[in-house]
Amino acid sequence: MVARALGTGLAIAGLWACAAPAPGLSPVPLAAEGELRALGPDEEGTIWSCARILTVDGSDRIFDPGMIAVQGGRIAYVGPPLAVPAGYEVRSMGNTWAVPGMVDLHSHIQAGGWGDINDMVRPVNPELSTRPTIRPSNPAIKVACAGGVTTLFGIPGSGTSIGGFGVVYKTKTDAGYEETVVRDPGGMKVAQNFNPQRGPEELGGSWAGLGWILRDINKKAVAAARDGRDDPALANLVRVHTGELPVLIHCASAEGVANTVRMWKVEFGTECVVSHGSWDGYKAARFAAENGVPVNHGPRTMNFRSMERPERFVGTAAEYEAAGVPDFSLNTDAGIIPQEELFLQASMSARFGADAYRMLRAVTAHPADSFRLGNRLGSLEAGKDADIVFYSGDPLDPRSRVELVLIEGEVQYSPDLDGQWF
Amino acid sequence: MVGIAPICLAALASAQASGVSPHPGEAGGAGLAIRCAKALVCPLDPSQVQVMDNVRILIRDGLIEAIGPARDITVPRGFDSIDVGQGWVMPGMIDLHSHIGGGGINDGVYQTNPGLSVRPTVVPGNARLRLALSAGVSTILFIPGSATNMGGIGLLLRTAPERYEEMVLLDPGSLKIAQADNPKRWGYGMARIMLNWQIRDTVRRGLAYARRWQAFEEREGPRPERMVHLDIFRALLAGTPISVHTQVHQVVLSTLRILVEEAGLNTFIDHGTFDGYLAAAKAEELGVPAILGPRSVSWKNRGRGIDHDGRFMGVAAEYQRRGHSMIGFNTDAPVVPQEELVVQAAMGARYGFDDSEAGTVRGVTIIPAKVVGIAESRGSIEVGKEADLVVVDGHPADPRNAVRLVFVGGRRVVDAEEERLW
Repeated sequence: MVARALGTGLAIAGLWACAAPAPGLSPVPLAAEGELRALGPDEEGTIWSCARILTVDGSDRIFDPGMIAVQGGRIAYVGPPLAVPAGYEVRSMGNTWAVPGMVDLHSHIQAGGWGDINDMVRPVNPELSTRPTIRPSNPAIKVACAGGVTTLFGIPGSGTSIGGFGVVYKTKTDAGYEETVVRDPGGMKVAQNFNPQRGPEELGGSWAGLGWILRDINKKAVAAARDGRDDPALANLVRVHTGELPVLIHCASAEGVANTVRMWKVEFGTECVVSHGSWDGYKAARFAAENGVPVNHGPRTMNFRSMERPERFVGTAAEYEAAGVPDFSLNTDAGIIPQEELFLQASMSARFGADAYRMLRAVTAHPADSFRLGNRLGSLEAGKDADIVFYSGDPLDPRSRVELVLIEGEVQYSPDLDGQWF
Repeated sequence: MVGIAPICLAALASAQASGVSPHPGEAGGAGLAIRCAKALVCPLDPSQVQVMDNVRILIRDGLIEAIGPARDITVPRGFDSIDVGQGWVMPGMIDLHSHIGGGGINDGVYQTNPGLSVRPTVVPGNARLRLALSAGVSTILFIPGSATNMGGIGLLLRTAPERYEEMVLLDPGSLKIAQADNPKRWGYGMARIMLNWQIRDTVRRGLAYARRWQAFEEREGPRPERMVHLDIFRALLAGTPISVHTQVHQVVLSTLRILVEEAGLNTFIDHGTFDGYLAAAKAEELGVPAILGPRSVSWKNRGRGIDHDGRFMGVAAEYQRRGHSMIGFNTDAPVVPQEELVVQAAMGARYGFDDSEAGTVRGVTIIPAKVVGIAESRGSIEVGKEADLVVVDGHPADPRNAVRLVFVGGRRVVDAEEERLW
């Protein structure tokens, strides 16, 4: 298990060599599963024990009770309780459950409000990035952390067809940009239909025009890549077309989702992720699944009184899951839904008919994997970032409370220390 | 998923198809027995058993005839029988702050409008009512908006019937007063001080009018001149409650002072949010219930942070912590969708409200029933009460558990197997 995780991690680290390194994280000599070595005199590590661990790993391992060793910001061991070797500080979390810190790929709280996410002079803005707008550890981020959300893709809005590039960052509660950034640029944000629609007298007044605008800029980027032309405005878009960066695509309705898959995967072969996919978008779910396009669903997770005849209620997360889309995940589009309520998106999707455990994956392992962050995030496995949330009970039951949040092994939020934030 | 014995479904379906004979459970129909894994019985006295295991409920003529351990209660001959397996049964839910009965809830010409009623705006069987019912909300207090100091008269309505006369449980259900904030008008030049004077002045005139009628009826005075717009005060004098849009510490204090201490009227706190909980002990002392929501938290960056220096406060938890014993939850639907009433209670628990005595369920059933004066007939599962019952997959405050069946007056009105609306 450890060997597999490490192998995948190395491979992906190679693929993403150009992405920002993991600040503050030093390589940790990993113990084989089932053993834990004593720490040297200069080494520090913490062992966290609790009643239950939901690893959300590839084998869906659950430990009752369980123990997690953290060293150098990463998980050194996760599994059943072992005899504690010398050198570790031991912390008991009593009857709590440990789960991976949650990951949201569709979030706008990086500036601390609705400001600074849309630059709308031009219809496509591949030259822009949310980087200069990020206010690390802003109040919305702190509450997100208190809600067990530890990693966000902070992206531009959908005011234009290409809003620009977003940043993947951690929700550390007292840190600067350098300590929180995971990958910058983390990926591109596209809005395929609806919101970026422009005035009737302009190109882009209809979905046909929006489609043309996107295809046109993509062709320019492909040509720039082919000709080796250095165009600063297109440099990051070129990286999308070389498969170096993923792209998250705001789209909704059946034709919107289908157009996204057709243009961004079938025609241009990018690493694209459908985001929203609301209303009857699930009707294109099989098309997305056939083409290996992950879906990041929300904030609306049901379709009601739609164009269906006869009208019927559809829990849309369950439909995407049933169609077999890879790495199905959920989002909040925060602040549309408060960032701290990401877990509730999973709970409500279960209410609307999806499998509850799969919905836990949809806010942890799947968003991480679909954005190629799975080498570091999304599950509790040796070698991954020690982003761990301890809940008083089942994480998808709102009556459970977050008792402690660790990011890279450091306590970021504790109601005992700070009072309850969420 | 709650399983239902198919033979019973068939029986019910055929009864519905015939369209003439009463359904099992409802008045005039055959008796109905429901067996369930748990019943949240919710008697008003919190020291009585709130939750029972492996329960059978007998319904005859729309009323609960018996409830107890399944092994002790045999199904009488001629009764239809439903076994909901692992399902839980709870009383139909009651929301005391709702605007979904129809349209046109604000008349903003005058500052106080005690003569107006939402009566002419009710649209029986509207889509929102159907959705509410599908979520187990069987009773709402449909009230005017808060655009003026006195919006007018609200009605207590059943959500299920499609005829107005069958919907109305109480007319008047309450007088709606908005103590501060929303009814401010004319830009500069009007503060809470004048709003409070408006309320005090109208209440004083109204009560004087009502007392003249009281004197007349007791043969101690002449017949007063009829003033239709003040007639509601005769009902208030007889105990009809005032639902007061009030929030923030000093505004709740004004509510208690003006309406309860000075006027001696039956009043409940509606909203009660931000730091309104600072008046909770006084409200408890005066016997004034608190129906909280739609905002569930007070927080520096979301609320006003008047007392708490940036700390996070769960509103229901803070009322409870100050010894308040009559705490309910509202949605202010459609501010929060009517169907999410139970999620409001669940989030109250997430924010620290102690749910160990089924407080989340009581807060949407027996507590609001008591507040609006219908606890003799509704709000709990007790012998002699209306059989307004909801079958849920598990604890209703865990949103992963969906509503499967709803019974109103013993009649099955919602079956998610046949049609899922939420």
